[in-house]
Amino acid sequence: MSQQPLTLPATGPGDGSAAGRPAGTTTAQRNRRLLELAGAAAIAATYLFLVLTQPADIANGPASAAALVALGGFLLGAILLVAAALPVLPTSTLVLMPVALVLNVVLGQLMGTTGLPFYLDAIGTVLIAVLAGPAAGAATGALSTIVWSFFNPTVLPFAAGAALIGFLAGLAARSGLFRRFYLAPVAGFVTGILAGVVSAPIAAFVFGGTAGLGTGAVVSAFRAMGDTLLAAITKQALISDPMDKAIVFAIAALLVYALPRRTTFQFAFVRRFRVLAGKTPAVTPDA
Amino acid sequence: MPAPLHPLTSLTAACCTAAVTTAAGSWPLSVAVSAAAAVLAVRAGAGRRVLTAAAAVLLPLGLSLLMLHGLFFPEGRTVLAAWGPARVTAEGLAFALEAGTRTGACVLVLLLFSFTVSAPDLVAALNVRGLPPQFSFVLASALTLLPAVAGRLGAIRTAQESRGLVLGGGALARLAAVRVQMVPLVLGLLEESGHRAQALEARGFGRPGPRTSYREVPDPPAQRRLRAVLLVLAAAAVALRLGASWPAAGLL
Repeated sequence: MSQQPLTLPATGPGDGSAAGRPAGTTTAQRNRRLLELAGAAAIAATYLFLVLTQPADIANGPASAAALVALGGFLLGAILLVAAALPVLPTSTLVLMPVALVLNVVLGQLMGTTGLPFYLDAIGTVLIAVLAGPAAGAATGALSTIVWSFFNPTVLPFAAGAALIGFLAGLAARSGLFRRFYLAPVAGFVTGILAGVVSAPIAAFVFGGTAGLGTGAVVSAFRAMGDTLLAAITKQALISDPMDKAIVFAIAALLVYALPRRTTFQFAFVRRFRVLAGKTPAVTPDA
Repeated sequence: MPAPLHPLTSLTAACCTAAVTTAAGSWPLSVAVSAAAAVLAVRAGAGRRVLTAAAAVLLPLGLSLLMLHGLFFPEGRTVLAAWGPARVTAEGLAFALEAGTRTGACVLVLLLFSFTVSAPDLVAALNVRGLPPQFSFVLASALTLLPAVAGRLGAIRTAQESRGLVLGGGALARLAAVRVQMVPLVLGLLEESGHRAQALEARGFGRPGPRTSYREVPDPPAQRRLRAVLLVLAAAAVALRLGASWPAAGLL
């Protein structure tokens, strides 16, 4: 992690999303891009490796080697993504990250009081991604998972999946899917499919099952039909995750709509990509 | 009392123990590691907190594993009991035991680390190692914000109740109750973070360049050597396991 930020984050109103701007490619920017690509490649390669070489015979106990590969590969990918995004995020985005983590935990618990059978532990991540962009979303997802693991170490291997959720939420916001309320759950549904598929090998190989009783019951049903463990958990994830993420995106959208315009338009990303419907206020702060 | 453990030493020890336990994949070792972690936690005076947090994580996971593999394990051959589609097999129970104890050992060891380490020391030690200051800020800020927000949520609920909010009732009523609590919380946190950003920016937080730390964490040479030994041991365990699993893949 000797990556020193050589350049200041480009100052000015347009620095909300460092990713995806080809202009002015310096060495530091190229290195960052390489780190990002390496992180994404590590995650993709780990997933492919696990799916292709999945231990067929689990009757001899959980596969330790697969667990090690899953842990190592996904964590490495998440750390590379954080290392690429973190040093260039503007301070206004950075101070949101602890808030996002706290919201993930507290809102997750608060929603738990309604008795709905979902995890809903990504509300803060999606909220930050909508306000500050895909790079901030990915970094928030991964970092908040790392900090959360101080209280619940079992979430640590899912850092890569959380980064993916944040990244996709930011992309959805950038392409205007949060301008209409009914489009947000659709984006969440698609995100949930991808995130569920990526996270399933972790549940299967690292934990040998799922953390909750409800999800465990669904996996049991597929196992009873004779599926392999990975197939059963992937199918369970495809049932729960898209629904869960659709709700999370809808809640995040409602929260963003409930925020005063003065607050949301402080974020350069929101102004630049017209993330929310409606006109930009006449006065743009710190132009 | 010997020299206090450097935060990086305890972090390395926890991660290496978790890696070795995962690589070994034998439940007696996992149980031994869990027991050792529990004893250390009690001796460090964090026994109650570590065990409560571990139980909150491990009980649902353990029950889920037991239900999943205890009843449905198509790969199992030794059938102990069967009711319709559900079959209790020896292999399934062994799998649940193996997976459950392995996760339990890792969770206890990592919780022992996170509940005994001093967050400011950890942040200072990581900064000396060249980790970006942004990471330290997020870590330290989140760890201090979390208890504060729980308190603030209580205050918001009290305020809303004094304005006529009634908790309970049907699902819709409860959702509405969540909404009137969430919006003030999120709004306040975002507003505050804006102020914090200005204060940090005014103090040069976003600027590159070397930082001076007020906090010096002593790092005795003996602990440096211990860390190196632990890392080599963990790497060896991981390499052995990978080599044993895929000898043909040329991983070694």
